[in-house]
Amino acid sequence: MTVTRITDVEFGDTLPVFDPDTRLANVARFVEAAHWNGPRFTDHEAARAEGLPGALVPGIMSQGFLAAMIHRWAPKAEILYVDTVFRAPVIVDQPCHINGVVTDLDEATGEVEIDLTVTNDAGETRVFGTARARLPN
Amino acid sequence: MGARGGHPRNPDGGRIVILDLHTHSVVSDDGRAKVPNYCQWIRARDLPIEGFVLTEHRQFDFASDYSGLAREFGLTILKASEVETEYGHVLVFGVTEALTKAFDFADIHLPLAQVIEEAERHGAVPVPCHPGRKRVGMAAHIGELGVPEGVRIVEIFNGGSRGEEDRIAAAMASEQNYQGIGGSDAHIVSHIGRCATRFDGAVGSEGELAEALRGGGFEALSFREQA
Repeated sequence: MTVTRITDVEFGDTLPVFDPDTRLANVARFVEAAHWNGPRFTDHEAARAEGLPGALVPGIMSQGFLAAMIHRWAPKAEILYVDTVFRAPVIVDQPCHINGVVTDLDEATGEVEIDLTVTNDAGETRVFGTARARLPN
Repeated sequence: MGARGGHPRNPDGGRIVILDLHTHSVVSDDGRAKVPNYCQWIRARDLPIEGFVLTEHRQFDFASDYSGLAREFGLTILKASEVETEYGHVLVFGVTEALTKAFDFADIHLPLAQVIEEAERHGAVPVPCHPGRKRVGMAAHIGELGVPEGVRIVEIFNGGSRGEEDRIAAAMASEQNYQGIGGSDAHIVSHIGRCATRFDGAVGSEGELAEALRGGGFEALSFREQA
């Protein structure tokens, strides 16, 4: 379900979960486009040699997933900021789930605040944060 | 030791109070939750807690007054602190102004022994939190530093735990005969109430909370969904 106006939104609304493509080929495409190319993002063995649990999904890619989820829910939303706290790495080739829930809204300004989390299949929070977005009145 | 899920009831019919003992607001550097939104969320989702304790990182928040919000939402809102020691992070309940002058809450290298000694001297209760976590949890440091003196309670359910962290915490608590508390460690609104602590009696102030923890009549609860 998508929303188009602030009046469509209620406190506590849950955004549709977005399961992004974290496979190696997709991450490789992203880091090339972002000029962040490096083996820690595209090579599990090289990442493990650096002491990491596996190749990492770059933080800016996770932030992109979060923004994408907001726009899937509210295509006309203007995202004012996405503010993230990285608690644990998001690993390439491991499924993750992008979750959002509305935790504040102001009908006068059209602004909503959204709790954001990136979780894995075990339900563990890898990344959390908040976003603020403005919807048409 | 602890219970998972459900809405516990006191079999004797006495009043029980369930508080989330570990939350952060925007006052903490990594906190993103505004306290009014915590209150709204608890009521909107009908969470089985009667209140929460704001345990801001490396400080005690004297400035904020949540009494109006507490009345408006019918919730207990208390304040405490989360400080940092060589054994990891430690919640301190029952903080007084005098205690905040006894050591530097902002110091990230506090000796745990000093935190325990000064907390007890000032009627407060220290509780190592997320003790099963690498680097910032107590269990990770016992091998190198030994079992610390004076710890009586640890957090055995933490809403932010990953992997085996809660299991390690519970095993350590069992081995060392520590009591356990639960707290969500919420930094965003929707994470409040994932874990909590049930008290056998009223807890309406920071002093009563410290007294209840010293009294031992409490139990850790987890409301986290099991994956």
